[in-house]
Amino acid sequence: MNQADISHLVSRLKIQVNPRLRKFRNPEGPLGRLKKLRKTVTALFKHERIELNYPRAEEARMYAERLISDAIRYGDCHKTTMETADFWIEEKQLIHKLFKVLVPRYEHSQTSYTRMYRAPRPYPGPMHKKAVLELRGNPYPPLLPDFVSNRNLIHNVLLDEAKKEYRSQKYAEIAAKIESAEKGALQIENTASEKSSIEQNASVSEQKP
Amino acid sequence: MLVSTIRHFKAVNYHARILRTFSSQIKGQSSRSDTSKSLSELRNVYVEFLPDPTVEFRNPIREKLERLDMLARRGQIDIPEFYVGSILAVTASDPHSLGKTNRFVGICIKREGCGLRAKFILRNVIDHQGVEVLYEMYDPALQKVEVLRLEKRLDDKLLYLRDALPEYSTFDPDMEIEVLPEGSRVPVNPLKVILKPKPWLERWERQNLRGVQEFEISERDKRRADKVATPWLKYDLMKNYMNTIPEEEQNEIFSEIHEQLQQLELTRKKLKRKRSFVKPFKLG
Repeated sequence: MNQADISHLVSRLKIQVNPRLRKFRNPEGPLGRLKKLRKTVTALFKHERIELNYPRAEEARMYAERLISDAIRYGDCHKTTMETADFWIEEKQLIHKLFKVLVPRYEHSQTSYTRMYRAPRPYPGPMHKKAVLELRGNPYPPLLPDFVSNRNLIHNVLLDEAKKEYRSQKYAEIAAKIESAEKGALQIENTASEKSSIEQNASVSEQKP
Repeated sequence: MLVSTIRHFKAVNYHARILRTFSSQIKGQSSRSDTSKSLSELRNVYVEFLPDPTVEFRNPIREKLERLDMLARRGQIDIPEFYVGSILAVTASDPHSLGKTNRFVGICIKREGCGLRAKFILRNVIDHQGVEVLYEMYDPALQKVEVLRLEKRLDDKLLYLRDALPEYSTFDPDMEIEVLPEGSRVPVNPLKVILKPKPWLERWERQNLRGVQEFEISERDKRRADKVATPWLKYDLMKNYMNTIPEEEQNEIFSEIHEQLQQLELTRKKLKRKRSFVKPFKLG
């Protein structure tokens, strides 16, 4: 049984974390594994959407999430975080992107910072599973079809009709209300004018004698 | 029925308010023996309340039950704040002689485990013989745990004291309690120990020890140490993540047991005050 290491605090990740890390067997050992992954992380920060083999995408995704969450948590004046960013990002201009673009973008985010999709594998071809890894809020058009705003889909057509009907009903009600109000106002005016004429008559009759 | 429950609720509220004002008064007085510790302090003092981060050992219900058991045990025996490098005196009942106790004084060289399995190792040199005793913190055989000198050392483990000169792990069994001034932080002792020449129990040259004075090693050992060094381990973000508990989870755990810990500290303060009172007696 181990004690939790409390020397360095971390934020909880918003993605599912695998119980075991993949080894990516490598002649350079664990350092080679990290070097392999940091190429992917750098590419992800640079292009914001990449297509690659599934295992590596899943592994690199966890590291990218950790890097962004640390950058949000500690900022660019924290020495350890800066060193980590320097290790993980091979193209050094992207370090600025991490702290000046990605941190403000995800600062108040309630969900994960990245998205991963299963991609179709080329046929005929190798049997590896493929994946698309992207940063949320990227400038590209979305990968999944947008079902919400397609006007021609049957449920949207029905909803539009329902809205139209509801609106016409409401208009009719409002018109009825206005009419009734006008009628009422007219009646009141009439009665008032009648009353005033009677009073005038009365005053006239009073003055007469 | 309803009225009585409301009255009860009000009474509870009233007591809570009294407690709160009391604790805030104490808070104003000192920060060392502060009753309402901040979460960051709590996680340093009560590390063993955090669960083991290894995924296959996680079990939220068991962890919660364990925390309740630990609090119950802490209600029976006062387990004070201590760190690796502090000097402790532990009184435990002797399993081999009924009704008798043993008192062992030594420096804490390691703290390990979490939950009810939390342990610590005390080391001392007695009659020119190094002695180490491993105590379980929540062992019902423990009767009293006193901290004679509260301090930290430069390293997280002091296992190298086994290969250091004996004077570094020799402590007087009749040592008196050194009281820290109120409001002070736990001091860090920057002592650098001198290791005995080889052979050693472990390859200390590979462990980046800060509390050890420079020692000479052969060229071959140096080469080997460089070969097996893992300076990139601090960059393996996921490995570090899996060795710790995320801060949100830590806060959940400590906000759950915060009140009970506060109560325990209050009672400890009261007991301390009682103990310090010495009845005057007649001379001659």
